[in-house]
Amino acid sequence: MTAAVSPAETSDIDIGRLTALADVMLPAAHGMPAVSDVEAVEAYLAQVLSWRDDLRQPLVRAVDALDPTSFTIDRLMALHEEDEDAYVALTSAVAACYYLSPVVRELIGYPGQVAKTYDPYAYTEWVAEGLLDPVVERGPIWREAPE
Amino acid sequence: MTYRADVLIIGAGASGGVAARHLAEHGFDVVCLEQGDWPDRSAFPGTRPDWELAIRKDWAMSPNVRNRPEDYPVVHDESDIEPLMYNAVGGSMIIYAGTWPRMLPSDFRVRTMDDVADDWPIAYRELVPYYDAIDQQIGVSGLAGDPAYPPHDDYPLPPLPLGAAGRRVAEGHNRLGWHWWPEPNAILSAPYDGRRPCVQRGVCTSGCAEGAKASTDLTHWPKAAAAGARLITGARVSRITLGPQGLATGAVWLDRSGVEHHQEADVVILAANAIGTARLLLLSADDRHCPDGLANSSGLVGRRLMMHPFSVVTGWWDDQVEGWQGHFGASITSYQYYESDPDRGFVRGAKWALSPVGGPLNHILPMRAGNEVWGPDHHVLMGRTFGRGASWAIFGEDLPEESNRVELDPERADTHGIPAPRVSYRISDHSRRLMAFQEDRATESLKASGCQETAVASMIPYSGWHLMGTARMGNDPATSVVNSRQQAHDVANLYVADASVFVTSSGVNPTCTITALALRTADLLVQHRSEQKVPA
Ligand SMILES: Cc1cc2nc3c(=O)[nH]c(=O)nc-3n(C[C@H](O)[C@H](O)[C@H](O)COP(=O)(O)OP(=O)(O)OC[C@H]3O[C@@H](n4cnc5c(N)ncnc54)[C@H](O)[C@@H]3O)c2cc1C
Ligand code: SF4
Repeated sequence: MTAAVSPAETSDIDIGRLTALADVMLPAAHGMPAVSDVEAVEAYLAQVLSWRDDLRQPLVRAVDALDPTSFTIDRLMALHEEDEDAYVALTSAVAACYYLSPVVRELIGYPGQVAKTYDPYAYTEWVAEGLLDPVVERGPIWREAPE
Repeated sequence: MTYRADVLIIGAGASGGVAARHLAEHGFDVVCLEQGDWPDRSAFPGTRPDWELAIRKDWAMSPNVRNRPEDYPVVHDESDIEPLMYNAVGGSMIIYAGTWPRMLPSDFRVRTMDDVADDWPIAYRELVPYYDAIDQQIGVSGLAGDPAYPPHDDYPLPPLPLGAAGRRVAEGHNRLGWHWWPEPNAILSAPYDGRRPCVQRGVCTSGCAEGAKASTDLTHWPKAAAAGARLITGARVSRITLGPQGLATGAVWLDRSGVEHHQEADVVILAANAIGTARLLLLSADDRHCPDGLANSSGLVGRRLMMHPFSVVTGWWDDQVEGWQGHFGASITSYQYYESDPDRGFVRGAKWALSPVGGPLNHILPMRAGNEVWGPDHHVLMGRTFGRGASWAIFGEDLPEESNRVELDPERADTHGIPAPRVSYRISDHSRRLMAFQEDRATESLKASGCQETAVASMIPYSGWHLMGTARMGNDPATSVVNSRQQAHDVANLYVADASVFVTSSGVNPTCTITALALRTADLLVQHRSEQKVPA
């Protein structure tokens, strides 16, 4: 994976604390790993903030405002009410780190947005197969309009 | 000596590009002023891992969120829909989805046929040759013979792939006995005019790095420049100037460092979109000739803004359809509920377009198909939905209302200190009834297509991509701003080439019609050049 820009500084963010919060938001469950299991925050936060420096300040606020020892999803929703920017920064940063992990992508079957090749004339097959026939057979559905 | 052009075009987007090319190729000396830059395709984020983060900030559809120097803020506190656009050579086509439907005959006659709004002063038939020509210029992929339309010329390229989801919904509609058809898209399915075909990456609304999706920076400006048109970028127009005879003499513009210039011209064409054009007409008010705004003796400049109420109905199957992949334009479309049926409790209708649903962040962060769930249930939701869905994008016909309008904001301004436009817009009760009906039918469609689960995002605010109506066309100068040639009633050498002139919105994506109208306006200017009044 190529980085668009060089990773940004993360010393203003308590990585351990953010990871603990992230593990409540995306815990190990239903066959999926927790954020800490794939070390997503350590591996990708600098990259995410290099792309979206505007998330930094509100993310710092979110990490400061939330106590990981008592953090719950209800508390996360309360943050949404109290400080929407902090909430958006936290959810965006955590989700972005998690879904950049190749392990997670593999598990959800997501290769990224990839280029595909296809035969542009393959449509003749489904036309020949009759897929459009019922539509054509019902006839025109547009209304004649006076000039 | 000041240089005076035959034609000055303001805005190098869809309509500006089409008009510039036609006029330059017919011998006019054309200058265009564009506040943005040439887009750099290598900077488009779609091939990068941060794509879904970028579309929420630097590549957002909203100029207010992007907040680049070339963007002007659009004040929308009093609007149910947020206006979206892109400011660059190519205009909003740089980030549009590329669906390319024509309007229908009834769309031009809603007063006569449905007793609402107003008829257009032109008919569908008059636009057909321009629709056909523009499809060739743009490189449209599609399939002729759609029974929702009068017969017309075939498209230059075969339709884009249906994809697994498109195929399933097509079969679902066959079971229901409902209309569907492969959507015509301004996206190449095969090489055309030196451009490469679509690779189905599904990132169209943050710029097509392949150049497969048509935008006038690719399809029109190189040809316009080859024919002699001059395009000045980083040039923000602040007002149109008037001469003593009440004719336009050109425009004042500011370069990136704020230095003021004046471009003189015989004819001025506004192509700044329905918000930018209304803003400029209002900014060009002059105490002597037009205290309420240029070309505004009808009082309608800025009024009748239409934006198409927009809902998304998403359905999920119980297996993979690679729902993140595929051109964003649309794989298939349905006009089953497009034409009026007054028994439904409303008139007019909506067009549906089936689109992919994006990558993981689009699934879980609120934007379009988003559903925010955290904790262990997050993984259940992703397991059930990711890659398994497709969305019906529903565009409802928006009937014009004078209270839906663009004005100048007394406080906010762009980076040059020019007042920002302020939009007041309310979705009407009629639109709400229309959309509720369409949402219910689209849910039935997806269920009949085998979806296990469906969800409706009703009339989402972040959807003002179709801007229309703020300088309407008409025969009567008391009730319209421009005539059927898109020439201002009040100023004989001022034309409006963009969707400001739309009388009604239809229920289809507008750019095919915008460009066909721009081509017609330019063509009529060529035909009537000897009669054109110009300043002394
Ligand atoms: C996200 C998105 C998706 C869309 N999808 C579709 C779709 O699938 N199908 C469809 O038909 N339409 C779609 N649209 C709409 C389509 O992009 C517009 O209808 C079309 O681009 C409008 O053309 P235009 O020429 O009126 O304006 P634009 O293309 O917006 O161009 C106007 C140009 O004028 C310039 N300008 C404005 N003011 C000034 C000034 N004061 N000085 C100098 N320059 C100025 C701007 O910088 C801009 O480049 C979409 C739009 C968006 C935002
Ligand atoms: S899906 Fe096709 S049109 Fe869209 S961005 Fe990719 S190549 Fe371009």
